[in-house]
Amino acid sequence: MRLALDRSHLALPVTVILGFGAVLPILMLAVFSVFTVEDFELVPAFTLESWDDIVSNPIYGFLIGKAVATGLITAVFAALCGYPVALALARLPKARKGVALIVLLTPLYTGEIVRIYAWRVVLGNEGLINAAVQGLGLIDAPLKFILFSPFSTHLVLLYDTLPFMVLAIWVSAEFVDRAQMEVARDLGARPFQAFTRVIVPLTAPGLAAGSCAVFALAAGDMLTPSLLGGTSGATAMAMIDNLFGTAFDWPLASALALSLLAVLTVSAVLVIILALRLGGGRRSNRGLAP
Amino acid sequence: MNRVSPALIAIVAFLYLPLLVLVVFSFNRAPVMAFPLTGFTLEWYALLASHKAFISGFLTSFLVSQPVGILGMLLGLAAALALTAPQLRCRTTFVVLLLIPFLVPKSVLSIAQVMMMSSIGFERGATALILAQTLVVIPFATAIVAAAAIRLDPRLEEAARDLGASAWQSFRLVVLPQLKPALGAAYSVGVILSLADLAISMFLAGRVQPLSLIVTSQFRRELSPDLNAMQVVVLALTALLVVANELTRGRRAAMRRRAAPISTDQLVETTP
Repeated sequence: MRLALDRSHLALPVTVILGFGAVLPILMLAVFSVFTVEDFELVPAFTLESWDDIVSNPIYGFLIGKAVATGLITAVFAALCGYPVALALARLPKARKGVALIVLLTPLYTGEIVRIYAWRVVLGNEGLINAAVQGLGLIDAPLKFILFSPFSTHLVLLYDTLPFMVLAIWVSAEFVDRAQMEVARDLGARPFQAFTRVIVPLTAPGLAAGSCAVFALAAGDMLTPSLLGGTSGATAMAMIDNLFGTAFDWPLASALALSLLAVLTVSAVLVIILALRLGGGRRSNRGLAP
Repeated sequence: MNRVSPALIAIVAFLYLPLLVLVVFSFNRAPVMAFPLTGFTLEWYALLASHKAFISGFLTSFLVSQPVGILGMLLGLAAALALTAPQLRCRTTFVVLLLIPFLVPKSVLSIAQVMMMSSIGFERGATALILAQTLVVIPFATAIVAAAAIRLDPRLEEAARDLGASAWQSFRLVVLPQLKPALGAAYSVGVILSLADLAISMFLAGRVQPLSLIVTSQFRRELSPDLNAMQVVVLALTALLVVANELTRGRRAAMRRRAAPISTDQLVETTP
């Protein structure tokens, strides 16, 4: 008898690899989080010390909250900046779209460190922005707040994630009939109304996908805040790294990593629901349809 | 309508401004990176050629990126073929599984992997690094290949089988040639992501020193023009890879376009 194999069975090796390489290590965090450390050695035991620490020490809650806030802020700004760009891209003649795509994605291919490095040159005291503004005679002393501050962190996180948002909205705008977007304007809707009542609902799936990707990438980033955030650069990720490496407190590092993952997952799901609501909810409640 | 929208000018300026600054300063004579510019020089590029650590770092990164590109491409192909097969059960679960390496912060995933590896006595190093980077490439490679696989005409494969081809023959002679451009793209994206990676290397490289790690350790101390020149070289090589890839795909896409209008499928195909 022949074994009935078809293409769907190719999912098996991929599932096994992702299971062992990604899911199992994350599940193992739960095991490590109840272990304890004695004389720099991990001792298999069952203790809730680490979890107790996470709950009782407010610094962990604060850092996790900060990660969520960073992700949300970046997602909101990426959406605000991403919409005009994505809509303009969707309006390009077909022949130009391929080139536009390369232009949009090439900066993503540069390493994270290249981008951080370049921004330091742009934002520094003798950098591009300060030289330009001082050259114009607008200020006497260099603007200090633009480097090593929450501003620089969020600006560069936006830079890192914006192409994902643009791409997601662009793809869903391509599926939408152009006429549908323009008919609102013809019927006398102001640009803002046309945008919130017609364009956003129609591209809600793209907004949801883009927001989820941007949120996950920005909230989980460690290098940008630590290399560009200055004194504001403390993150939950850096804390986990520190507990894992320098402090050798693997149980606490595991507990914190799991808590962060859980909060980020729930937040990401809420972000998706919210983005879809923004579209679908409005359309059904007070849509333009009779 | 030839007017370019202001939104597009703004985003190109935003995305390319930092990269432009890097390029400009790599040719600037002054050893500190500050305005105003002081004159043209190739000194920093000459300095690069004698920098042994950079060269060996680049070789290491290159050698790691090749298996990552190939493995990522093969796994992406398998996942994409499964995703587009009508018989696949638990499709949503499979999609979520594929997205995990993209959505879980890379540092968390890497730390979790190191802990698991150490508990079973698996050494950090080149092998661990290649495997971990491959995992992160899987979601990208799958998206690229799936975007092409979803457009395959199942009748072509059926026709091949009806004419007596074995399953393997019809895959190799009918399906595979149609997926070639997407597989090339998946491979390039894998290589590019591997070259650009820093987060995974920090935890899993062990004693292996890819270029990104060497650059970071120097960068933490100070900015220097030779480092700058090196970033420009890496940037130029990456851009070359992207353009070469797009050119070969562009020609094939042009042939396809006659049959199907270019639209989102081309968009989705190049998603990194």
